Amino acid sequence: MAGRRVVVIGLGNPDRGDDGLGPYVAERLAGRLSAGASLKMRTGDGLGLLDDWQGFEVAIIIDAAAPVGAPGRIHRIELETSGELPVVSQTSSHGFGFDEAFALASSMNMLPGRVIVYAVEGNSFDHGTGLTAAVAAFAEEVAVRVVEEVAGLLAGDGPGPIST
Amino acid sequence: MPTKTIKVDYLARVEGEGALDLFIEGGEVKSANLRIFEPPRFFEAFLRGRSYKELPDIVARICGICPIAYQMSATHAVENAFGVSIGGQLRALRRLIYCGEWIESHALHVLMLHAPDFLGYPDGIAMSRDHGEIVRGGLKLKKAGNDLMRLLGGREIHPVSIRAGGFYHVPRKRDFEPIAEDLRRAHEIAVALLRWVGTFEFPELEQDYEFVALRHPHEYPFNEGRLVSSKGIDIDIADYESIFEERHVAHSTALHSVIKDRGAYLVGPLARYALNFDRLSPDVQALAGEAGLGPVCRNPFKSIIVRSVELVHACEEALRVIAAYEEPDRPFVQVEPRAATGFGCTEAPRGICWHRYDFNAEGDIEKARIVPPTSQNQPSIEADLKEVAGMMVDEPDDVIRHRCEQAIRNYDPCISCSAHFLKLQVHRS
Repeated sequence: MAGRRVVVIGLGNPDRGDDGLGPYVAERLAGRLSAGASLKMRTGDGLGLLDDWQGFEVAIIIDAAAPVGAPGRIHRIELETSGELPVVSQTSSHGFGFDEAFALASSMNMLPGRVIVYAVEGNSFDHGTGLTAAVAAFAEEVAVRVVEEVAGLLAGDGPGPIST
Repeated sequence: MPTKTIKVDYLARVEGEGALDLFIEGGEVKSANLRIFEPPRFFEAFLRGRSYKELPDIVARICGICPIAYQMSATHAVENAFGVSIGGQLRALRRLIYCGEWIESHALHVLMLHAPDFLGYPDGIAMSRDHGEIVRGGLKLKKAGNDLMRLLGGREIHPVSIRAGGFYHVPRKRDFEPIAEDLRRAHEIAVALLRWVGTFEFPELEQDYEFVALRHPHEYPFNEGRLVSSKGIDIDIADYESIFEERHVAHSTALHSVIKDRGAYLVGPLARYALNFDRLSPDVQALAGEAGLGPVCRNPFKSIIVRSVELVHACEEALRVIAAYEEPDRPFVQVEPRAATGFGCTEAPRGICWHRYDFNAEGDIEKARIVPPTSQNQPSIEADLKEVAGMMVDEPDDVIRHRCEQAIRNYDPCISCSAHFLKLQVHRS
């Protein structure tokens, strides 16, 4: 996939337990991504994502997800970047998250061509705590899958599965 | 007697958790209670025993949007206690980082949170479908503010380079070159935003507020000045407690601030503007006039215009500071602790943020008192709600609900800072 530009963004708050998974994986990815890929962290204002992925063809987001039964379980989801606008509820002036950033970017044609999310089910999101062991144990697996995906994208492989 | 209840479980587009109860009897609004149920966070309690050196980093955690306000009020209080005065470029850099905070906070509120109310959209995201260009511009504006905070503060949320006496690190002059270019563009965007919000239709409402703000001999206020009001208060910030007091109310975990003799008062953009119009540049004054404002604005719904005026001012001021910047010899002046009480009061985006600290000889905090802007505005918010709802008691509940939420968003309230926000219940009988 010569000429395609890929950005990997670790998203989350390191002071909120497993929400810090995204930045934690991003730290592990330093120096491991194929040449031509960019690595970023977004630990605060979600609106900044619009800048983070501006100009890139593919954005890979690593984020923690609400627990649905298996802490550490990895979900790879490729989001639909065209078509109907997702409905989100903006309830806080301070808390623009990924959902709001994606919806806002979608409505203004500011999304990359592809947005792939690695969502890892969290366990605890307490204030002032780090990752739980159950979730941290899967960080390296996420990192390896992202390294492989980026290499594949830059080598011109076709798209991966829509969801796993 | 029949009773009617309107309930909004959580107010959107504000920060924090609370509710509003409206009691309507015989077609008259008897009371409007802003019920804040978010638990207090006890910052004042756990600051006890901490060193003055830790203070700016701890109070920064009170708010993710306005950390500079807390850091500035705290550092000024430390310097006031220890007999240190900051001048020259360090003082100018403090104004500059405050410009950054006003720009990012006001841009977010004006565009993403408040403007949708006037144009009939549920939120900024829905509005962006029809007003993409203005929203994109607003995001650039916000980013310029965030970039300023990052350059001077190390990061835009909970900055880490603020210390008593100045900064841990100051930028070189050439570091400002790219940001100055962005700020010139941001200034153009802010002017366009001001002209745009000036075209909105506003509900008719004039309130007899007692405006309270800082006033400085030469400047539109950020960090320094005397505490003045539109009804004659003119005091040193150290005398705040002699005029103002905080009271517990049963329906709120946030204290209500009042003027002891008179009750409610108003802080924030409307107050700053009314008390300091003559401190704005002629260009900004003229732009305010073009947008429909006189030198005083008493319609809380028009606070969106005033915030936009302040956006233009903040961009202008930031460019002025950058143009005159020369790197100081040292990033801070030395501070030597002593047993003393210090006071700090600065203009957060939402209004004055007043701090008082008692220090021991080692500079450890023995007692802390922090009065955030939103808690000071609560009585005025309730007075506005009573007035707004009173003008439309016969309207359907959802119409009342929407207008009341809009009236609350006029204040850009930061509930977590004040408790310390929103369900709406209307009780009719």
